[in-house]
Parts: sequence; structure tokens; C-alpha cells
Amino acid sequence: MRERLDNEKSGNESFVKRVFKEYYSKWYGEPPKNYNMREYAFIISRKGDMIRHKAFESWDEVREFLRKNVPLHGFYSSAYYLQPSAPDMDAKGWIGADLIFDIDVDHIHTPCKDVHDKWVCLDCGVVDKGMPPEVCHRCSSKRIEAKTWFCEKCLDVAREETIKLVEDYLIQDFGFSPKEVSIVFSGRRGFHVHVESDIVKGLDQRARREIVDYVKGVGLTLTSKKRKVLLPPLNAGGWHGRIAKGVYELLNSCQVDDLIRLLGLKRGPQIEENVREIIKRLEEGKRCSTLSGMASKIWLKAVEKAIAYKRCEVDERVTTDIKRLIRLPGTLHGGTGLIVMRIGLKDVETFDPYTHAVAFKRDYVKVRVLNMPKITFLGQEWGPYDNEVVEVPLGLAVYLICSDNAIVIDEVL
Amino acid sequence: MVFSKLDAAIYPFINLASQIVKELEENLGINVILSPGSEVLKRSIERIKEAIYSRVTSVYRADLDVEILSHPVAMLLLKSIKDTRLLHIYAEAEKNRVFLNLLSEDYEKLLALAIDGFNWHVIRENYTFFIRFDDYLKASINIIDSHWKLVNRKLVNGYVELSRRDFSRLMAEAYKTRVLEKASQEEVIQIPEHIKGIVEELNKEVQGVLPKVDVRITHISGEFNPLAFPPCILRLLEDADKGKNLPHMARFTLATFLISIGKRPEELLDIFRKMPDYDERKTLYHLRHVAGEIGSRTKYIPPSCATLRTFNLCSPDDDLCSKVKHPLIYYSKKLRTIKRG
Ligand code: SF4
Ligand SMILES: [Zn+2]
Ligand SMILES: [Zn+2]
Repeated sequence: MRERLDNEKSGNESFVKRVFKEYYSKWYGEPPKNYNMREYAFIISRKGDMIRHKAFESWDEVREFLRKNVPLHGFYSSAYYLQPSAPDMDAKGWIGADLIFDIDVDHIHTPCKDVHDKWVCLDCGVVDKGMPPEVCHRCSSKRIEAKTWFCEKCLDVAREETIKLVEDYLIQDFGFSPKEVSIVFSGRRGFHVHVESDIVKGLDQRARREIVDYVKGVGLTLTSKKRKVLLPPLNAGGWHGRIAKGVYELLNSCQVDDLIRLLGLKRGPQIEENVREIIKRLEEGKRCSTLSGMASKIWLKAVEKAIAYKRCEVDERVTTDIKRLIRLPGTLHGGTGLIVMRIGLKDVETFDPYTHAVAFKRDYVKVRVLNMPKITFLGQEWGPYDNEVVEVPLGLAVYLICSDNAIVIDEVL
Repeated sequence: MVFSKLDAAIYPFINLASQIVKELEENLGINVILSPGSEVLKRSIERIKEAIYSRVTSVYRADLDVEILSHPVAMLLLKSIKDTRLLHIYAEAEKNRVFLNLLSEDYEKLLALAIDGFNWHVIRENYTFFIRFDDYLKASINIIDSHWKLVNRKLVNGYVELSRRDFSRLMAEAYKTRVLEKASQEEVIQIPEHIKGIVEELNKEVQGVLPKVDVRITHISGEFNPLAFPPCILRLLEDADKGKNLPHMARFTLATFLISIGKRPEELLDIFRKMPDYDERKTLYHLRHVAGEIGSRTKYIPPSCATLRTFNLCSPDDDLCSKVKHPLIYYSKKLRTIKRG
């Protein structure tokens, strides 16, 4: 049994290699800024280690390398180095780094995960639905394997966070020009946002931490130095204005009854009165005013909601790392076979990874699908499948094989 | 804006200051500047002492050349002492001086200083400054105060809005960072033989008063009873009352002793009021620093008996003195005996 599985897996791997080779044979890619000052890294085969510290003098060399080695995964450094190929990090000579954000549904709670995600503990064998925990709740093991899917709802969340990050934060608050910001589909369950700008290039980890905290709304003080609860005016810039607007929208769009439920308040006659007072103050406000009593209670609860709604869910480890390896746009993601793809800001809204990031759009293949929920792929519904042999589009077959959800049967392309 | 020589003395970070330093060094020669008994050397040592005892350096206006040169020379001395705590205290005191002076400059001048000294990207609109966020982050990162976190600032279109006061504070912080960076730069420093003695002496004094990392005598009861004061403190109080001009170390001992037993800085103003160089605002400022209420938040305790002895500030007149090593211990022991009657 074990042997058969290994055979099948190696069948899978050679299949994947073959289709990836096809993809890279016509590959041009798009060089990142100062591509010859970056470190590159690749994973060539499933069992192989990561090859690091590669550097390329010309973009043709990159293409040549991909064509020859057909890696499963390709990365480049967010950092610029004097000697990107030096094996020792200190000898590389760090010059600066792009500012990177990672929006990944893996780290965001979406309710649909309870429906489509599963995880198994490799030590005690516990199986459960939903987001995988850090450690197994039965045996505390960290060896947890997750089976995750990226559904329409997950995609919506990731898209929304990305647009919010770019429009509200990077462009509006931080003042980057849209030309300095690029959005990349990560190839699996989210987006990477790269900021290539001289303004951020030299910032150290601590400065980048401040930027992440800003985007995530971490460390906001809602009171004055004397611990009075503050109500900022609607036109206040930055987070305080964002909070004022958020609360204003919330209070104006809800009936009092809904508000009481939403904010978890105790019903009382002063609530309506206080809500009106807050709205009035927000409208009139020229500078911060202070609140007390019931009004401050309602305000603070509403602020909590406003922050949760306006903040941006990014992975801070990625942004604060100034020597991060990040997926090279244009390459294939070895866990999905999808293209790690640059997308214009105005196209994010309509971006559909199962159409736009599919590298193999023609041909059909026969595979044994082990498990798959219902999926819309290339504009058509497929599945659900449970351990059955089916003929599916090549792109979907690659997707399922790469993610260990299917086995190749018909190898004829 | 054209800066004056006084500006260069107060704000060592502007280009004019380094220009003047360079010219003076060329004209006078480093040997003259560091010669025994040179005014510059004296002022540099004074500057470091001011930093320790008052947590803020002053501006010596009588000879601006001397004042301008004394900063790099002080840095040289600090580098040869190689005590990071002392270096931080000096940098903090320099920052405080710059901040206090910036507070009374006008908007145009503040803007000019920031651009000349730090190449900041700043815009001024009426009574507000706008600084580009990368400049803001680099300068504010060491301020541990939630109001300085970027998330609590008004950030629009890449620029952070700052009041005049905060703008001044930020500039002072940037200066402090620069002092620390300069001091940590690796370079071979040659100090003349005769200075080594001076450096050693200064170092000894410094070690006697710098806050010890592991201070055991932190909490003395808040009780205030002059009857239990040790003789050294009583004598200092007397001298102060007579309006004698007490040296740094004496003022420092008085202030730290009284603060340690629970006095608030404002309550100590009366003690120093009779000093010839009394300035209420400045005195309160450094008392609050010594108390750890502002600035680096290090709370100082008075020097030990041994240190006070080397400064001729010890004047034992009872048996208890021979049994204690620290004036605060004297106080707590004496309090207990008084209570027992
Ligand atoms: S022995 Fe100590 S406590 Fe007594 S007078 Fe001298 S310094 Fe003060
Ligand atoms: Zn387990
Ligand atoms: Zn989902």
C-alpha cells in the first residue's frame, strides 16, 4: 500500500514537472526593480531543500534558470544587496528593502472555514473542521496538517483587505503614488502588496513595526493624557478621523434597537439621547472634545466596532522582516499550480484566481480526486468529489495534484 | 536663513557648527585646544558635569568659540571614558538643552533648523508643521510614549501633523540620536597623555554618582523628619540657607536625598532659591529629571558616604556615621531609634 502511494506520488511529481516545464518554456516574467541586486531562492523538488543565495546579472539568466530547473517554487528578496549571492547574510551588504504586506486568509478568520477547512494532528490523529490551531488541542503537538480551500467568500475577504490597505492606507495616509504600489496574487489564499519607494527603502525593523501597527490599528489611545475619553472631529486625519467617521456611519445606519444588540448595551432611556448627542458632537466638532458617563460607554463600544471594521488584517512578521524572501511574480505556486500574478489596483475587485491565475487553460485530464468541495473553476462548477475518477480541465487537475487532493491516472496530455 | 554663532553654540547639529569647529581646529590646532588649563577643556568637563548633576547642559555665552568647541571635546572625553550610561546621560542632557531653547524659537527658525540640521522633509502651514512620515519614524522611534506612536498621529498624504512643541521635541530627539551615533562610531582616538589624568579623575567622580544598576536602598519610608537627617545633609541645608553657591555635587546630593525620602521636586525649590544663579524654571526642570519624572526616567539616589568623603562633603559628628555606608541608611536607622524613644 505504502509503495503504491509512493509510486503515485512520484507519478504526480513527474506530471507536475512536465506541465511546469511547458509553462516556463515560454516564460518572460517581469523583473522587479533592481532585479540584479536581489537574492533569489528556489525549491526544485518536493523533497529537495531550498536553493538560496542565487543572483542574476541579466533577466535572461533568470529565464534560463527557470527553463532549465523548472522549480516548484520561486522567491526573491524584498531586500537589495551589494552582493546578493554572498552565502553569509552579513556579507551580502544590505542596502535597503521594499515594504511588503501579506494578506493571507490562513491568518484571517472567515466563518466559511468551518465548512471547507479541515486539519489533522499528525501525532494523535485528531481531525477537526475550521481554522487549524497552533497546537493540537488533544496532545499539544505542533505537527498539524491542514487541508484548506479558498472559496468565494474567502476571496472576497482577501480582496477587500487588499483594496483597503492600498487605497485607505498606502495611498491616502502614507501618500504613496499608485505607481509605487503593486499587488500580487500570492498563488494560494491571498495577496502580497509590494511598495517600491526610496522613502521606505532604508527603514529599519522598528520603523516598519510602526507602519504595521498603524495599518492594524494597534496601540491606539482613545483617551487624553489625563485619561479623559476623547471624541475626535469627523475631519480629523489619520486614525482618529477614521474612527470618528466609522462611528458616525455606524450610529447613522442603525436603529437604536439594533445598536443596543450590536454593541451589547443595556437597554435604557438615555441611550437614544446619548447617541444623538454623539452624532451632534461629531458633526459640529472642530477639535477633540471629552465624553463621560453613558455617552463615553456607547462611544467606546462603537469605536471598538469601527476599529475592527477599518483596520487591515496583515501578517506583521512579513512586513517587519527586512530580509524576507517573497514569491517572484510570474512564477507558479507549487502548492496550487496557479500563477503568482501581478494585478492592477482596479482589477482586484474582479480578479478571480480560478480563471485569471490559471496557467493551463486548455486540455482535459483524467484524475482520481481524493476529496474536493464544490468549486467554480474556469467559469464552470466542478465537484464535489469524493475518491472518484473524473475528467477535469488540465488547470484544475494541476491544482488538485499540487495540493495533494488528486492522483494522476491518464498521463497523456 | 542665516544662522549666528550663538545658534551654532546652542544647536551643534547645524552645518554652521561643524564648519566653525573645523575652522577653529585648523587655526588653533588640536594641541592648543587640549592643552592643560585650556578654556575649552575646562568647559567640556563642566558640560559633562552639568549633564550628570542637572540632567541639562547650559549655554556658555561668554566665549562662543569655547562653547562651540567644548561639545566635540566633551564627546572625545566621553569616548575615552567608554561608559554607556554616562554617554546616555550626556546625550539626554544635550537633548534637554536643545529642547528648552527650541521652545522659544519662532516658526521660521524651527523650520530652518530642521532642514539645515537633519534634511527633514517639512512643510509649515500657519501654526502647524507637517513632516514626512519616514523622517518622523526615524526621529520618534526611541520615544516610549503612546502619544508618539504613529497610529496616534494625524497622517495624511505621507505627512505627519505636529504642533510646534512636538516638532521641537522631535528635533531634540533627533539630535540625541545623532550624539549617540557619533559616539558609537569606530574611530581611533588619540588623547594626549596629560588628559588621561583628567579623564581618569572625571571617570572616578562619575562612577560615584551614576545610578547603580542594582539599587537596594530604593524604598525608604516616606516619613520626613529633619531630626533624623545625617550631619552631611544638615550642613548642606545650612549652606544653602546662607545662600552659598554650592557645587554640583552638593546640590545633587541634597536633591537626591530629599527626593529619595519622599519630597516632590516642587517642594525643593525653596531650598535652592537663595543660590546666586537661581532660575526657577530651570531648577524645577532638572529636579524633575533627577527625580526620574521626566526624561530618561532614571531615579537617582544620593552618593555613598565614601563618595561624599572624597568630595569633602562628609562631616560626621556622631557614632552612627561610623556604622553606615550610605546617608539614606543613616536616616532610616536614626528614624528607628528616634521612634523607640
Ligand atoms: S558618614 Fe555618611 S552619613 Fe555620615 S556625614 Fe559622612 S556622608 Fe553623611
Ligand atoms: Zn494531537
Ligand atoms: Zn471560505
